[in-house]
Amino acid sequence: MSGTTRRTVLAVTCLATLAGCRAPEPPSDPQSALVARGRDIFFNETFDGNGRTCGTCHRAEDNFAISPAFIATLPPDDPLFVAETNPALAANFENPRLMREFGMILENLDGFEDLPNKFTMRGVPHVLALRTSVVSNQGPRTGWSGDGAPGDGSLRAFATGAVIQHFPRTLDRVPGADFRLPTDEELDALEAFQLSLGRQAEIVLPLALKGVVAARGQAIFVDNTLGKCNACHFNAGANGDPRIFGPDAGNLNFDTGVENLPDQPADLTGELVPPDDGFGIPGDGTFNTPPLVESADTGPFFHNNSVETIEGAVAFYNGDAFNDSPAGQLLRGATGSGINLDGTQVVAVAAFLRVINALENIRETIALLEQSRAERREPARATLRLALAETDDAIQVLVGGGLHPDAVGHLQEARRLARKAARSFFFRDGPTADAIRAQERARAALIEETGS
Amino acid sequence: MTSHATLTGARATARSPIAAAATALVLLMTMPAAAQQSTEQFIPIGRSPGLSGTQTYVGTIADVDAGARTVALGTGAARHDVRITPRTRIWIDRTQYGKANTAGRFEDLAPGRRVEVRYVDAAAKQAADWIKVAAEAGD
Repeated sequence: MSGTTRRTVLAVTCLATLAGCRAPEPPSDPQSALVARGRDIFFNETFDGNGRTCGTCHRAEDNFAISPAFIATLPPDDPLFVAETNPALAANFENPRLMREFGMILENLDGFEDLPNKFTMRGVPHVLALRTSVVSNQGPRTGWSGDGAPGDGSLRAFATGAVIQHFPRTLDRVPGADFRLPTDEELDALEAFQLSLGRQAEIVLPLALKGVVAARGQAIFVDNTLGKCNACHFNAGANGDPRIFGPDAGNLNFDTGVENLPDQPADLTGELVPPDDGFGIPGDGTFNTPPLVESADTGPFFHNNSVETIEGAVAFYNGDAFNDSPAGQLLRGATGSGINLDGTQVVAVAAFLRVINALENIRETIALLEQSRAERREPARATLRLALAETDDAIQVLVGGGLHPDAVGHLQEARRLARKAARSFFFRDGPTADAIRAQERARAALIEETGS
Repeated sequence: MTSHATLTGARATARSPIAAAATALVLLMTMPAAAQQSTEQFIPIGRSPGLSGTQTYVGTIADVDAGARTVALGTGAARHDVRITPRTRIWIDRTQYGKANTAGRFEDLAPGRRVEVRYVDAAAKQAADWIKVAAEAGD
């Protein structure tokens, strides 16, 4: 290579590098700009508090929730562990043991006047598909018990309560000293960002599933004399069946008896875990219905992270805790029986939930891969990392249920290609396109597709 | 917490036993929309998201009737009495003094004090869901 050629190659390389490092251009349409602003606040804004952001607990790479396994990967100085590093928050702010072992977060939902004794320990709910799960004809439902937001109780107002509960420098919780409250503009942006996450619409059951076990699980799920799941989780979502509850019922609260489960992991530790009375002050024992499409890869399950596996979560509805609960008793009274599935049926319903979760992972991954093709290098790498995490989830939920080895093979190939794209400096597009095709083959292994 | 028996969307069509059960579940176990009161305590007067400026009264107390447990708000034609029920939460907003907000009592409600009031029913304006009272020096 001549000196001139070398210089030309060097110049082109430098220009390409600089182009790749340039700051991303802001989105042109107002809604996309608002979502982008919300994303920035969600992951970076500490509101002058203890260092936490919304993304501290709602991790993008952990399905916008946080599991004990993920927590175990974090460094000791992660803001999640602020109760272990900030003396002002050492007592009555979190329970570090329950956080690390079971992913539980402390909340003072019934008031702040007796911090050592009056609190609840809850898992971190994912914030995916909120577009489908917040609305009810009784007003917005946020958080595990539906009353998670101050102000007007809306998703928009939720961040204000979260800052007060989780972000303070001291337990005095004085605005302007221990944190600042989000502005209206920030609340608008955070709401827009959260509503943009995950599914934007319900799936429609029944799906033409190819796997016989998952297909049987779906049949049990929608059978109102057997699984009875679809009544409250219509289309495997978070809303009541409109044919039963009315067209606009939306998200509903029920007392399903989760609090009465025996041998709850957190209780077994001997740590103080006061009863969680759910909705309202004092609570009525009800919690709101979460969407199930995203469930298989967002365990542990229920508001208190009391069940680790999706099979265990399905089996909960067989047990005394549910069947003796107010919800279970009314169901028994009306139908003549509680929910009484055999082991194979429990596994079948769980297999159904695993497959629809994998289908959602694939949908989201393809969207991320497509998005990365339009992005510059660094944003694209970040997007590809999320695509890899989604693909890993799809693989895990299928492998964990012994389901669809053919689809798993395609997903592993898709993963290899996406990883190659993430590592490539100049030639991302080819492996990204190939990864999309591999994802599509995986999807075709799970479900009959009627159109392209 | 009172049961909410006027669920607008519920239809007791009883197309199946489970429909009847589910409707009963809704009637018995779901409640009206409720915001979280615990963190509301720490939000200064006029800053409650989605409420302040639209759904609440922000101003001063015109009068107090301890016997009837009501406070008079507003002036002229806008003047109205609001009941303080056993369920009404009262908080002292001490933000301006750099102190933590605390629970208050009916006795903290006095003519001339600045308050924010959320009504149980914003249209009826008859009873208070919560009241924030601006702290005075020494509170």
